[in-house]
Amino acid sequence: MAIITEEQASLWNKLQVAWVRLHQHWPNAAATLPFVPLVLAWWLTAMLEVFPRAFFPGPGEVILSLKSLIYKGILPEYLLDSITRLIVGASAGVAIAIPVGVLIGMNRHANRGLWPLLLFFQAVGDIAWLPILLVWFGFGLTTMTFVIVYTVLFPVVLNTVLGIRSINPDLLRAAHSLGASRARIIWEVVLPGALPNIMTGLRNGLGYGWRALIAAEIIVGTSGIGFLMFDARRAGSVVEIMLGMIVLGLLWYVVDAWILAPIERATGERWGMVTR
Amino acid sequence: MGSLGGDRVLSARSPQVFLARVRSAVLFLIPLSLLVVIWSFVVNVFEINPRIFPSVASVWQAGVDSVVDGTLVRHIGASLWRIAVGTTIGLAIGIPLGIAMGVIPAIASFFNPLVRFFSVLAGIAWIPIATLWFGYGFGAITFVIFNAVFFVVAYNALLGVSSIPMQVRHAAASLGAGRVAMIFEVLLPGALPNIVTGVRTGMGFAWRGLIAAEMIATDRGLGYMLFTARDFYKTEVIVLGMVVIGLIWLALDRLLLAPLERVTTERWGMVGS
Repeated sequence: MAIITEEQASLWNKLQVAWVRLHQHWPNAAATLPFVPLVLAWWLTAMLEVFPRAFFPGPGEVILSLKSLIYKGILPEYLLDSITRLIVGASAGVAIAIPVGVLIGMNRHANRGLWPLLLFFQAVGDIAWLPILLVWFGFGLTTMTFVIVYTVLFPVVLNTVLGIRSINPDLLRAAHSLGASRARIIWEVVLPGALPNIMTGLRNGLGYGWRALIAAEIIVGTSGIGFLMFDARRAGSVVEIMLGMIVLGLLWYVVDAWILAPIERATGERWGMVTR
Repeated sequence: MGSLGGDRVLSARSPQVFLARVRSAVLFLIPLSLLVVIWSFVVNVFEINPRIFPSVASVWQAGVDSVVDGTLVRHIGASLWRIAVGTTIGLAIGIPLGIAMGVIPAIASFFNPLVRFFSVLAGIAWIPIATLWFGYGFGAITFVIFNAVFFVVAYNALLGVSSIPMQVRHAAASLGAGRVAMIFEVLLPGALPNIVTGVRTGMGFAWRGLIAAEMIATDRGLGYMLFTARDFYKTEVIVLGMVVIGLIWLALDRLLLAPLERVTTERWGMVGS
């Protein structure tokens, strides 16, 4: 951050420095702060009725509906349903994806044989499976779990392969010539080297896993946040849709800030890839 | 490790590029054709109920029928038009905005949580509210696609610009690069691999968002075709739709996005060669 202190200390630069300090000392506060002007802008837009109130409610109404949905016990129950589905699906997806990714990234034949299939089935997409899954498994947990596993799988596999390909071949040759066995190369060179990419893939995969879950809940429609939103859409209640979106965003934010970002930061810093 | 980037380098340098391409296309198709063979084998041997999973022949017949009566072309046309419009708008706004947000590190770290927040919501989560705002049909679906592309691309552009080493930017600045030169000769090229990856991911999920939105909010398009077939247990139409969806995306990805990504990563020396 030398560049900032070296330049002349205008107000802008002071702000920048303050922001960077805030970021270093209270990262959570720094991550929350950007939402303050956003919510203010939202509130202002709703207040001035730029859009009809029924289509664009303000923060106050959303908070009121949050209170009532928590009081009725609907929101906690749906939230728990969605989270359980996501955790089960994502764990299964990652557990399959990383070994497959390593296999495809490391082995020429596996690459030839599996890569086209991988691309094709990724291309088909989780959502397109919904109709036939509904025929097979009906409107239930199996359908939704299948969809989430499917969604999480591909970003993680593709990123693992990408990460393995981005490893400097010299490192592999060096490890090899120093007598490392194949298992040791995978464990100590390939996996650590691909880890930043794997984390990116996991982050992507989980983010999109959420989306698949929402789509599945909208279409399968038994419970969960997606169902809440689509039920609200049927009743024409923008307030509850917005609430659903905010809950989804916040929940993801918590998962991202508490679990994924620390891991990504740790790998990135340890690997010297972050230059902030 | 020559196996990883090996054949790419060969095909780029070989005088018979065309032959090499044909060869890689054939190699690409072998596993897929193998899958079709297994499929027909399994369906025939285990006598699977066509309401559970269709045979290869019935899917082929459904394909021929829908091409003859023109419904397939109509559905595909509707889907492709929506994705073209949504993606174009998403890219046109997402790339400049993502780079602009990334120019100053402090501002980049300010916008990072916001873009991240919206990129998890992008796409499918907007279907309920988009259908309320725009009504069922073209507007809502295109908005959902735009959303998916825009936020993923903007986030990746932001990430790409932030990942450019400060030394490179300092070097350019100390060599007298102005703001414009900095953007077009350092930031944009530096962020390009990330942007291209973002475009690929964003479009991949926009494609999914499209299918989901079409199941819910319209009366034409591939998603609609799939979902109405489900009502009548026409698994052959469902599987046909899935194959068509897969093939279209595969063509888009392999013929447009993957070469784009390959050219950028190769030019940037990121593939070990």
